[in-house]
Amino acid sequence: MKRIVIKNLIKDFKIGFAKRQSALQRFIAVFSGVDVKKKIRVLDGVSIEVSSGEILGIMGDNGSGKSTLLRLIAGIFKQDGGQIVTDGKIISLINLFAGLKDRLTMRDNIFLLGSFFGMTRREIKERFDDIVTFSELQKFVETKIYQFSNGMMQRLIFSVATHCNPDILLIDEVFEVGDEKFKKKSGGRIKELVNNGACVVLVSHDEDIIKRYCDRVVELVNGRIKKNGPILFSKQFLRLE
Amino acid sequence: MKIKKKIINLLVLSLELAKAEFKLRNEGSYLGVLWYLLNPLLSFSLLFLVFSDRLGGDIKNYSAYLFLGIIMFNFFQGTTLEAVKSIISENNHLVKSLNFPREALIISVVIKGLFSHLLEVCLFFIFSFFWAQNPFLIFFYLFLLILFVPFVYGVCLMLSSLTVYFVDLENIWNFAVRIIWLATPIFYAIESQTRLFYLNLANPMYYFIETARSVVIYGQLPRGWIIYGVVAFALLFLGAGQFVFGKLKTKIPELV
Repeated sequence: MKRIVIKNLIKDFKIGFAKRQSALQRFIAVFSGVDVKKKIRVLDGVSIEVSSGEILGIMGDNGSGKSTLLRLIAGIFKQDGGQIVTDGKIISLINLFAGLKDRLTMRDNIFLLGSFFGMTRREIKERFDDIVTFSELQKFVETKIYQFSNGMMQRLIFSVATHCNPDILLIDEVFEVGDEKFKKKSGGRIKELVNNGACVVLVSHDEDIIKRYCDRVVELVNGRIKKNGPILFSKQFLRLE
Repeated sequence: MKIKKKIINLLVLSLELAKAEFKLRNEGSYLGVLWYLLNPLLSFSLLFLVFSDRLGGDIKNYSAYLFLGIIMFNFFQGTTLEAVKSIISENNHLVKSLNFPREALIISVVIKGLFSHLLEVCLFFIFSFFWAQNPFLIFFYLFLLILFVPFVYGVCLMLSSLTVYFVDLENIWNFAVRIIWLATPIFYAIESQTRLFYLNLANPMYYFIETARSVVIYGQLPRGWIIYGVVAFALLFLGAGQFVFGKLKTKIPELV
């Protein structure tokens, strides 16, 4: 089953002018006509398909359009051309800390984050214990998370996100969460989701991570696909097993 | 079915957000909920001291007149001022990294505002016993809220999405709200001032406050055209807000 079908995707950004203008500047710009906008094509004719049960890696240098592609699949940005069809519930882990509130306890944050990921209160309650157990933070449920280390926060977010039963999981750079032990565990969790029919799109410029986890890799160069194929020595480290 | 699920998700998320914000605001505060009442109480005392003999001298039951005006405007002012910066400065990272119904950010602001507003309404109820007026008329105010809340929500939707395009809208609105506060008959009556009266015909807050006062303080329905005004402004701003926000929301993540 195809989870993601992207055809001929085009995305432009208008840059070269002040992103957020003051009302007066805007007013002058509109009426004087001196509002120079430079269009930059970030993605140019990208076509990708991802099936359920597949982990796709997206590689590329900074500015090659990886994160933009991820945001387009997540529905955060709107494309300027082409088609994106997705099937199933999408969870995006792009900026891990965005949904958390520092001054709230871990319990409150789980409920907040869970609702951002589209779960009802009852669903969160049902999975609450699993989320906490998986993150291995049982002792800190009532602790405010500004006292958490980065690793702890990442574990928390990863745990909430993967317990929302996503059909499509989008991960930007941040996959390797926590210490060695937890890395193995999170790899296992991803594999479990994939075996149950989800698909994962993983963006990274770290070749090792891509090789370790992905079945297939797409390499983006200046917004175009340079390479799209299986990884020769995929899963050679077999951490997922 | 799908739409129903979407709406439920939106409301669940809005409530969670409002709850979280509420907890954050009361974190480590000793007076807690009392803070919500302090602001209207202080402005009321001050304005009452200054104006009760002069501007308010001819107004029947001036204390109730003034207090009701203050708390209604407070709700409008507090909520819109928070909404105007809600997306651009408080949730910009969030909007860029997660796809969730953006309206939730605004609805949560309105829920929070409504909560403190209802506390103020309770205070009004208690005060009514001392002001020798029928305290139970305030319950009719809840019906007006059915129109007043959508109006405020509509204004919030417009402001929050437009700020992304016009960055100093935040400052402009800060200023504009103060002008509206002075132009709306909150601590004075308008009947004798023709120019101000005509100006206020374009001021939605005038219609809402006037209706509330007629019903809650004087126990009578307002004049017909004021009721039409209330309904029209509520629908107009709700519709316009939805329209503007709907048009702009897909571009917001690219601009913040």
